[in-house]
Amino acid sequence: MKYRITHTTTYNYSQAVGLCQNQARLQPRNFWRQHCVDSRFEIIPPPKDFRELSDYFGNRLAYFAIQQPHRQLVVTAVSDISLFPGRQRHELLPQQSWRQVQHFFQETSGQNLNKQQLQTLLEAKQYVLDSPMISASPELADYALPSFQDDRPLLDVVSDLMRRIYTDFTYDPTSTTIATPLLEVLAKRRGVCQDFAHLAIGCLRSFGIPARYVSGYLETVPAPGKPRLVGADASHAWFAVYIPDLGWLDFDPTNNKMPHDQHITLAWGRDYADVTPLKGIAFGGGQHTLSVSVDVLRLEGDGGFGEEFF
Amino acid sequence: MRSPSELANDIGVQYYETRLGVYDEMVTTEHKVLPYWQHFVNALETMGSEEIEHRRREAQRLLRENGVTYNVYGDTQKLTRPWRLDPIPLLISSEEWTVIEAGLKQRARLLDLILKDIYGEQNLLKKGLLPMELVFAHQGFLHPCQGTLQNQPIQLTIYSANLVRGAKGRFWVLDDRAQAPSGFGYALENRTVMTRVLPDILRDTQVHRLSGFFKGLSKGLANIALHNKENPRIVVLTPGPFNETYFEHAYLAAYLGYTLVQGDDLTVRDGHVWLKSLEGLQHVDVILRRVDDSFCDPLELRIDSRLGVTGLLEAVRRGNVAIANPLGSSVLENPALLAFLPKLARYFLNEDLLLPSVATWWCGQQRERDFVLQNLEHLDIKQINRRQDTSFLAGNTLSAAQKDALRAAILAKPHLYVGQEQVTPSTVPSFISHRIQPRTAVLRNFVVANGEDYLVMPGGLTRVAQDKDDVAVSNQAGGISKDTWVLAAEPSQAPSVLVQPNRLFLLDAVTEPLTSRAADHLFWVGRYLERTEAVARLLRTALLKYQDMLEFKDTIDSVALAALLHSLTHVTMTYPGFVNGPPESLEHPQDELLSLAKDGHRPGSLAANIQAFVQSAYNIRDLWSQDTWRSVDNIQYRWKLRVVNGEIVIEQLQSYLDDLITGVVAFSGLTSETMTREAGWLMLGSGRRLERALALIALLRATLVQRYDTAVQNQVLEAVLFSTDSLTIYQRRYRSFMELSAVLELLLLDETHPRSVAYQLRLLSEHISALPRDRSKRKLSEEERLIIKAYTDLRLSNIVDLLKISDDEGIYTQLEQLLADTTKLLWGIADTIAQAYFSHSQTSQLMTANIPPEDEP
Repeated sequence: MKYRITHTTTYNYSQAVGLCQNQARLQPRNFWRQHCVDSRFEIIPPPKDFRELSDYFGNRLAYFAIQQPHRQLVVTAVSDISLFPGRQRHELLPQQSWRQVQHFFQETSGQNLNKQQLQTLLEAKQYVLDSPMISASPELADYALPSFQDDRPLLDVVSDLMRRIYTDFTYDPTSTTIATPLLEVLAKRRGVCQDFAHLAIGCLRSFGIPARYVSGYLETVPAPGKPRLVGADASHAWFAVYIPDLGWLDFDPTNNKMPHDQHITLAWGRDYADVTPLKGIAFGGGQHTLSVSVDVLRLEGDGGFGEEFF
Repeated sequence: MRSPSELANDIGVQYYETRLGVYDEMVTTEHKVLPYWQHFVNALETMGSEEIEHRRREAQRLLRENGVTYNVYGDTQKLTRPWRLDPIPLLISSEEWTVIEAGLKQRARLLDLILKDIYGEQNLLKKGLLPMELVFAHQGFLHPCQGTLQNQPIQLTIYSANLVRGAKGRFWVLDDRAQAPSGFGYALENRTVMTRVLPDILRDTQVHRLSGFFKGLSKGLANIALHNKENPRIVVLTPGPFNETYFEHAYLAAYLGYTLVQGDDLTVRDGHVWLKSLEGLQHVDVILRRVDDSFCDPLELRIDSRLGVTGLLEAVRRGNVAIANPLGSSVLENPALLAFLPKLARYFLNEDLLLPSVATWWCGQQRERDFVLQNLEHLDIKQINRRQDTSFLAGNTLSAAQKDALRAAILAKPHLYVGQEQVTPSTVPSFISHRIQPRTAVLRNFVVANGEDYLVMPGGLTRVAQDKDDVAVSNQAGGISKDTWVLAAEPSQAPSVLVQPNRLFLLDAVTEPLTSRAADHLFWVGRYLERTEAVARLLRTALLKYQDMLEFKDTIDSVALAALLHSLTHVTMTYPGFVNGPPESLEHPQDELLSLAKDGHRPGSLAANIQAFVQSAYNIRDLWSQDTWRSVDNIQYRWKLRVVNGEIVIEQLQSYLDDLITGVVAFSGLTSETMTREAGWLMLGSGRRLERALALIALLRATLVQRYDTAVQNQVLEAVLFSTDSLTIYQRRYRSFMELSAVLELLLLDETHPRSVAYQLRLLSEHISALPRDRSKRKLSEEERLIIKAYTDLRLSNIVDLLKISDDEGIYTQLEQLLADTTKLLWGIADTIAQAYFSHSQTSQLMTANIPPEDEP
C-alpha cells in the first residue's frame, strides 16, 4: 500500500514574531513494515537554520529556526510511504503468559543474554517505567485487572484490554485536552485517541509490561457516494506492546483493531511528550491562532475504513 | 581561683560537652584538645569570649554590608536572609587533608567516567554493571542529552561532595553534587571576612589559600571552550534574584570577571548562543550554569521553564557552546548510585574507593529491598528523585502507620527508593551564646577539572546545626556556616591573606558587555533613586511647614501647608491622600505623613520606593563596587530599622529624612566616582534625569500653576525652593524677594542649575544621543526625536508668556500646558527606551500543534 501524507500546520500571529525555534517529528520513521520513500518540508517563511537528526527513540526529528520577523508560519510535511500489512491477531499464536513477561522484565538484569537480546531488553525496559505523562498507579491496575486473568497469554490480555477500553470509553474531543491527567480520563470514561493510548499504556505498565506510545495517521475513506475531502483527516495515536518472541505489536484502542495496512506510523516514545509532532517557542507574536490540516491520500491499493470508523 | 574578669573572658573550653559515641573535631574522648587545634585554642583563650563575640558581630556586619545572603524559598517577607558565619573555623590537619583530597579526586574521575558512559555507549547498562531502571527512572537522565557530550578530556568540570566524619573518625561522603554545585562562592566570602575578623590568628596559623582554586576554575572553564580558546566569553547563568544562592552567582560573576545572565539575556541563532547586549549580539563560548539542567531549554527539556534558553541543547549538540556542567549531569546525583560506586571504581579505575559513601541499599534489588523493609526504623529512606518535601524520611521518627504506608510505597515502585545508614556526624566547636559548644557539622568540598586531572579546593564550606540536639544540617532551616582551614604541612607557607576580591570599578568595559537586563535595572535604579529623593525632600518640607503651623497658628501657614500636602499626594500619586481624603487630614496630617514614610505595601510611599530601589540594585548586584553596595544597604537597613519596623513618632521623622537624603546623595556620589562613562552610566543617568524631571514637573504643577494670594504664594515658593534644594542659590541670586517668575526661571529654564528641568533635559538629551545604536540609518531614533522636542519646546518658552493670565482663570494655563506636554513626552521617552534597549523583556510563548483550537488563549 502506498500513501502520500500532507500535514500542514499554520500559525497566525496578531503581532510580529522576531524569532522562533521548532522541533518537528513529522517525517515517518522506517521500520520493518513501513518504508518512507520520500519526506520533505515546505516551510514559509523559509528557515535560515534547518537540520535533520534522529532522537533518542530513533524517530526522525527536524530542528528549524525562523530568525526574521514574521506574522505567519506555515509548516508542511509531505511524505510518500510504502506500507506492508501488519500481522493480524489470527496470524499470531498466543505465546508467553503475562506473568512470564512480567517476571522477565522484573528480574532479568541482562547478564546471560547475547548482544541482540540485550539491546532489545535495554530498549524495552525503559517502556516499563513511568514517563512524564504516564504513571503506573493502583487505580489503573484496578481498571486493568479483569483483563489480567491468571496464565492468560499476554497477547490475549492486551486484546481484551483494548476491547474493554473501546467499549467502556466514549470518543469525545470536547472532554479532554492534552493536559488532562490520566486518572481524570479514567474517571470520566471519555477522551480522544491519545488518552486511550495513554490509558492502555498506563494499565500495562501497572502490571510491569512494557508499552509505548505511537503517533501517526489513519486513512479514512468517505461513506459511499460522498466525495473525499482533502485535509479532513487527522493525526492519530495508538500503542504498542512488547511481547517476547513476537516483538512490538500495535493496538488501536480507539478503533479496537490491530493496525493492518491503514495506520501510518510517524514516531514512537514513552508517551505523547516524547513524540509531539510539532512544537516551538516563539518570541513576541501577541495572540496566536493555529490550524492543522492532514491529508492521507492512497496512491494505490483498495479498501479502507469507512468514515464512521472514527 | 579565677578572678571575676577572667571568668568573664572564659570561653568555656573546660565545659565543652561532647556527646557519647560522637566524634569531635577538637577534643579526644579523654577530653584532650587535639595537637593541631592547640595553637588555635590558645589564641582564642587569650582573646576571651567578649572579644570573640565582638568579632562575631563584626563578621555579621561585614557579611550584611556586602549583601551576603541566602534566600529561603517561600520566605517572601525576607527576600534576603543574611548569611551567618561562626568565627571559629573547622581545622583539618595536613595528613587528613591528603586523604580527603585524593579521595575527592578519585571520585570526580569516577563520576566523570560514569557520566560519559551513560550519555554515550551505555556499556554499564549493557554489561549489567548498573541496573537500567536505576538510570532510566531517575529524572536526571535526560533523553535529549544522549550523545550531546562534546569531545573533551573531562566532562564533569565542577564537582562537589558533602562529607561527614563518623563515630570512628573516618570521613564519609553523604552525597554528590554534580550538576550545578553551589557553595564555593560562600566559602570564598567566608574566608574574605575571616581575614578581616581574625587577621592575627589567620596570619599565625599556616592555612592553605583559596585563590589557587579559583585560578584553576577560571582556567578550567576557559579550557572547555570549543572555540576562541584564547579569549572565550564566559557567562554565569542564574535563575535570578529569587534563587536561594543568587548572591553567590553575582559574587562569582564579579570575582571571576564574567557576565551574569538570566536565560532571556541569551538567544540562540544559527545554532550559536549569543548574549543580548546594548551593543548588539555577542558570541558566548562557555556557560557556567546555576540553573538545574531540566530547566535549561524549554524546547527540548521542561517546556514550562522560564529560566532557560530556547535552542540551547541544539547549540550544544552542534559543538558551539560548552556548559559546566553539561546538561544531563544531574543523573550523577542519584543516591542509588552510591551503592554501585565501589564496583564501578574497580571496573573503571581498578581501584578501591578511597572515600567511602554512606552505606546505601537500593530497593530495586530483591535482597537489598528486603533488608530495607526489615530495618526501616534504623535507616533513612530517600527517594532517588529529589523532591521539595518528601524526599527524605528518618525511619526512627515514623509512626507505625507511616511505616506501613512507606513499605507499601516502596513495594509499589521499589526502584525509586534507597535506604541509607543513619549517620551521626562529628561535632565541631562553635561559638554560641558566648561559649564554645559542640555542634553537628557537614563539610562541603569543591573540585574543579584542571587539564586532565582535578584540583581540590584546600578548604570548603562547613555548615553546622543551630541547636545542640540537631543532627541534620541545612541552610534552608537556618544553619550557620564556618570557614574551613586546611593546615599546611610546611611552616614556610605564605600567610593566607586574600586581596579583597570585588571589582573596584563598576563595569569592565573592554571585556564585559552590558546585558539589556542590566541596562533595564540600571535605568530603574536611577528612577527609584530620584523618586526616593524627591519624596523625601518634599515630605521633609511638609513636616517643617506643619511645625510652623503648630507653632505660629497662622492661617497663611495652614493654606501653604495644604498646598504642600496636596502636592505630596500628586507627586507620590497616593490618591485619595490629601487631595480627595477626609478634609480633617489637612489639619492633622500626621497619620498620612507617617504612612507615606513607612508603609511598604503602599505604592508611591517612601518605603515602597526604597524597597524598589534596593530590589533593582540587587538584581545587578555583580555590577556594584563594594562601597557602592554598602551605601545601598545602609539606605535600606536604616530606614527599615528606624521607620518601617520602628515605633516612630512624627517628631523623629525629620532627622531620619535628613539621614536618608544624605544616604541617597552618597550613593549618587559613589556611582559618579566609580562608574566608567559607558552604556551602564548612560542608562543610570537617563533614569535619574528622566525621573528628576518628572518629579520636579509634578511638584511645579501641583504648587505653582495655581494662583495664590501674595502672602501664601511667598510661602509656597519658599517651600518649593527648599524642597528642591534651591533656596540658597535663589537667595544668593535674587536676595529674599519671592517672585514667581524668578523661581520659574531658576527651576524651569536655568540650564546651569542642576535642579532645574532644563538641566535634566539637557543631560537626558546628551545621554540619549550617546547610547549605542545603529548609526548607519542616518535618521533620528524615536527617543532622540522626543527628547529634542521636549528640550526645544522648553528652551523656546519664556516666562512672560507662561505667566500670562486672563482674569477669570485661577491657573496659569500656558505654564500648565507646557508642563503637561513635557510630562507626556518624557513618558514617551521612557517607553521607547524600554522598547529599543530592553529586548530581554520580550515574552516567549509555546506553540504546540495538538492543543485543540478552543483551548487557545
